[in-house]
Amino acid sequence: MPFCALLATSCIKDEPLNSECDIEVCKVHHEASDTIFYALSDTLQKVSSVDTVINFYTRSRINPQDLSQVRVTFDLTPGATITPASGSVQDFSQGGVVYTVVSEDKLWSRTYKVRFLPRAVLNPDFDFENVELEQPRERFYIWFAYDQNQKRQDLWATGNSGFALSRSSAKPHEYPSVMLEQGVSGKGVKLETCSTGAFGAMVNMRIAAGNLFLGSFDTQNALTDAMKATRFGVPVNRKPVRFTGYYKFQPGEKFQDRYGIEVPGRVDAPDAYAVLYKNTDENGLPVTLYGDDVLTHKNIVAIARVPEFKVTGISDTSNWEYFDLPLEYKQELDMVRLSNLGYNLAVVFTSSIEGATFCGAVGSTLLIDESAIIYE
Amino acid sequence: MKKIKYLMLLVLSLTAWNAQAEDLYEKWNTPRGTSWGFLVRTGYVLGGTSPMPLPAEIRSIGRFKPEGGWTMSADFFNMFNKRCGIMTGIHYFMEGMNTGATVKNYKMGIQMGEDYLEGMFTGTDETKTFMSGFTVPVLATFRVSPRWNINIGPYISYLMYRDFEGSVYDGYLRVGGPTGEKVEISKENPATYNFADNMRRVLWGMEIGADWKITRHFTAFANLDWGMNSVFKSDFKTIDFPMYPMYATFGVAYLY
Repeated sequence: MPFCALLATSCIKDEPLNSECDIEVCKVHHEASDTIFYALSDTLQKVSSVDTVINFYTRSRINPQDLSQVRVTFDLTPGATITPASGSVQDFSQGGVVYTVVSEDKLWSRTYKVRFLPRAVLNPDFDFENVELEQPRERFYIWFAYDQNQKRQDLWATGNSGFALSRSSAKPHEYPSVMLEQGVSGKGVKLETCSTGAFGAMVNMRIAAGNLFLGSFDTQNALTDAMKATRFGVPVNRKPVRFTGYYKFQPGEKFQDRYGIEVPGRVDAPDAYAVLYKNTDENGLPVTLYGDDVLTHKNIVAIARVPEFKVTGISDTSNWEYFDLPLEYKQELDMVRLSNLGYNLAVVFTSSIEGATFCGAVGSTLLIDESAIIYE
Repeated sequence: MKKIKYLMLLVLSLTAWNAQAEDLYEKWNTPRGTSWGFLVRTGYVLGGTSPMPLPAEIRSIGRFKPEGGWTMSADFFNMFNKRCGIMTGIHYFMEGMNTGATVKNYKMGIQMGEDYLEGMFTGTDETKTFMSGFTVPVLATFRVSPRWNINIGPYISYLMYRDFEGSVYDGYLRVGGPTGEKVEISKENPATYNFADNMRRVLWGMEIGADWKITRHFTAFANLDWGMNSVFKSDFKTIDFPMYPMYATFGVAYLY
């Protein structure tokens, strides 16, 4: 046996050169960082493998001149090279700078645009009218909104990109989070717990609950730690006091546990809540709430959660159920923190309350529309 | 004259030695002195299923363990003359392995029903494979010395049971290609696979072996079955390179 291992080892060829060419981390070096950014942590971005645009969010009113000479450094895939060079001073006042990364083996390249944008302030009227197919592959729906200045904001996320890994053959309307033609008014959202098929079983994630939330979904870590894939919350600068909306709900037939085993007698339920939390810790480091602590983290200052869902049916003739819930504050808001976007608001809808741990009933369907956060 | 005497002596002794060698061939003949015979063999099988040569994508082999190899076989042989003959038979075998390797940019594509996932994996791959079935070799056998036989020839195998399963972890998949979406896969939550259904039933290859007579009835043997076709069907694209079975057997045989 050692002989065989030796034989095999002696046959190992030279390591091929790297063919990846990613920007992994991007960092802004600016002597006036504190006047440009709300928080120092905004100067560093971990770049997702799917991103081709890297946005740095600045304070709402900054002098464009401040962006004319900015030094940006990059961490790249080992062996990859970037032009313009990492650490070179570039002019970002004209909309952004395009960088090209070439892999170590010189066979692959990617281009990225790095730009600075004023931090978007959440549009609190969730009418879900602005929906489109993901680009460029048009596999599933994504939702966005416009702010007061008619600027597009991409603050809504779903787990659809994770589902896409498991069900490549699924059409957009077969995903867990899809557009609903007929909502309360105009379009709505249909969230349905779906089976992830054979691929899902490979990684022991047999279902995907339909979800829609404020924040982002990190596909890169979706298989490693699904709870950490849902990054909840976007900054707000006003005090939310009520969470409202309409829903219809129908549970799926068979509730199953993580291992796909039916739990007899258990009826699935959806979930919907709004959570306000402090987005930095005592040391000023950024805090994000994830699937496993979004309702329990110590930084939470207020929660509104739909206590119980009626089974209304989900046909066109079923009646929409309205909810209007106060955010229950556990502590006073710090107004200075609020004005500096120091609080994040997470609004979460899901078709299976335990979907994050892959328990639920395939077919559970939650329809939502005309939801809103009412500010003080 | 003296020289001639020595020469005579040399010739005599050589003849005697030759006669003695002839005696040895006689002595180690089949028990009943026939040109043909039966060998009933049993042995331990070890080896592996591997791409050959190892592609550059395989960076290291951390662990290798043969699994449950055992064989039982019956061979018939017939010697055409003192040195050459033919041997054939039927072998029942069980063979397998368990291995862990680290790979870099290992191209894979997995089809599951209508769904397809393709990409490059960098990380650890653990594979367990097991096969059992029957092999029929057709071998030329050469009696290279009174007690040694070398056998060589093609074989064909039929698999009754086949398994090829494993998991990938401690790494990531780049979906579609090296610039595609990166999906991390951890040891705590590995991606498991089973490609048993994609394996062929019929395999063929070359067998080379050696028999050494311990006594007139008992023989020790070693042979190597070197697969010439991949264990996977040709339409199987998950593993980008052919995987050849290469298994060695060590055992004893009883000669009738």
